[in-house]
Amino acid sequence: MAPAAQSLINQGSMRRNRAVRRLGQVGLWLNPVFAYFFLWAPILILVLFSFNESKSVASFTGFTLKWYNNILNNVMGAERAFSTEIMLNAFRNSLFVGAVATAIATVLGTMIALAMARGRFPGKSLIDSLLFLPVVIPEITQAISLAIFFKVAFDWIAGISGERVFPGFHTIIIAHVTFNISFVAIVVRARLADMDPQLEEAAGDLGANPWRTFWRVTFPLILPGVVSGALLAFTLSLDDFVITFFTSGVGTSTLPVFVYGLLKLTVTPEVNAISTIMMVLSTLLIGISLAMQGRTASRA
Amino acid sequence: MTTYDVELIDIVKDFESGGGRVRAVDKVSVQIADGEFFALLGPSGCGKTTTLRLIAGFEQPTAGKVLIRGIAMEGIPAYHRPVNTVFQDYALFPHMTVERNIMFGLQMEGVGKKEALKRAQEALEMVRLPDVGTRKPHQLSGGQRQRVALARALVKQPAVLLLDEPLGALDLKLRKNMQYELKALQRDVGITFIYVTHDQEEAITMADRIAVMNDGLMLQIGTPREIYEHPGTHFVADFIGETNFIPATLLERGADGIGSLRLTDDTVIQARLSHTLQRSSGSVTVAIRPERIGISSIHNALRGAADSGDVTMLDALLVDSQYIGTDTRYTVRIGDALNLVARVQNISERDSAALAIGEPVTVSWHRSSTTVLDR
Repeated sequence: MAPAAQSLINQGSMRRNRAVRRLGQVGLWLNPVFAYFFLWAPILILVLFSFNESKSVASFTGFTLKWYNNILNNVMGAERAFSTEIMLNAFRNSLFVGAVATAIATVLGTMIALAMARGRFPGKSLIDSLLFLPVVIPEITQAISLAIFFKVAFDWIAGISGERVFPGFHTIIIAHVTFNISFVAIVVRARLADMDPQLEEAAGDLGANPWRTFWRVTFPLILPGVVSGALLAFTLSLDDFVITFFTSGVGTSTLPVFVYGLLKLTVTPEVNAISTIMMVLSTLLIGISLAMQGRTASRA
Repeated sequence: MTTYDVELIDIVKDFESGGGRVRAVDKVSVQIADGEFFALLGPSGCGKTTTLRLIAGFEQPTAGKVLIRGIAMEGIPAYHRPVNTVFQDYALFPHMTVERNIMFGLQMEGVGKKEALKRAQEALEMVRLPDVGTRKPHQLSGGQRQRVALARALVKQPAVLLLDEPLGALDLKLRKNMQYELKALQRDVGITFIYVTHDQEEAITMADRIAVMNDGLMLQIGTPREIYEHPGTHFVADFIGETNFIPATLLERGADGIGSLRLTDDTVIQARLSHTLQRSSGSVTVAIRPERIGISSIHNALRGAADSGDVTMLDALLVDSQYIGTDTRYTVRIGDALNLVARVQNISERDSAALAIGEPVTVSWHRSSTTVLDR
């Protein structure tokens, strides 16, 4: 084959290669666009319509803050089912349940993480995989199992003591602790895995007993992980609906359960406004949690 | 009765691994005197670090006893033992300043904050780092961290300082400097050092005595000179420095520690027997260091001197010559199969160019330079 013809063919294949590469680049660019669109479009619509002047979600007629104003001032359009007092009460419940469940779950989760990272005991790998289970099993399954568990437990208590126990804050808190432990343990464990175990040996070598080693060396080093885990747990607790719905009693509704109650009547712009506020709050907490983890990583 | 700073009696350490048991340390016994610089030398996985960790109290022996200053250490946790460790990666506390790191050990003893700070600053001066006290470990260079780790351990004034490859992470030049400094520091403070290393040169230049370990066994304990000149086993001869191994048959064991041997080409030579040599006849190995082998062109050879049996002289062929600055490294072939390496110092420039590859030469050595080992 003549050299000239050869070079022409080469040019042709090069041009084809360039076209394929450009297509690939466009595809790569479109990929995140679609992914983010599906992720964020519904949330954006929610936020947008919380500022919509019209009550209908059919069209955006103008910007207003009146729905936010309604929430704070005890006005709820035509329905009149809304009461700021009830909402604030539900929010207080949410904060209370979140705080107590987070405190308990953080202590227990941190202890489990320490045992998993440092301990040597039979069945460790089994317990290790069981720890991840609450993260992956469907929430509804966990909710129903907890509801049945409480029923059985209360029947049993009633059978022994004759006292009837009813669901309330204690059941919600226990339920929230159950799923939060896993999340705290996973975050703290990741931090422990980054930590050089020789540091603990060094503390022992310098005369610190295990108790002082923990408080002077281990704890300060895993603290960002613990705080981050606690913030994550608090957020999950604040946002949880399914499990809370199945384990709450009378008068102990949390904010998500209260919002669900409103939805049963109709979707009102106030619901959009409350949801937006909750989303901002959660995002803030998760942001702080991630920032703590990031700081940890950069310092190590 | 003498009390040793550290005494190990028949120490055995087994680790569980994947259902099986691995013996990391196998019946190790050693006595280390007060003020001694003692090196544990061996390749990675030989059990030297495990031995150190058994003394520190991070591991418990499967069998045997650890005594520190005559006191049995069984059941005594690391934080109650009068020893301190300089870790391989320093293990400085990243969340504390350098001063706080050094004060940590003193505060655990109940020393007050003021006194602890004063002693920490003195310790920093001792390792010639007086100005870094308020910095965090990550702001220091590798060499500085190494000194801080040293100060943190020495400020406790331990009976014994354990060092786990403390210079391993430093570059070559810094390592050489630190070798001299460490040795000088050890002489000044008079504390017993137990020093784990895989670097035979480091062990030879620094240690008063060396224990060579392999596969959990302590093969030989002795001064650097003893270890180098009189290796007790094939492994020790091979691991410490460079060695030629010549297969031979032992004909006769002389009473004076000299034996008669027959080489594979039927030449009979005389060589010094190792103290540890067990067999009295049969297959053995003659070990000889390259720098103890003389090499000369065949015309200059003084063949007459060989008659006494003190000096072995063999005909050989020069197959390779490598100029390495201070020395020239010659490879010679004796007979068909036996290659020996000889190292000759280049006293003048002419020395290094005197012999040509392919030339017949004579190699020679004195019998006191040889060691006959079991094969």
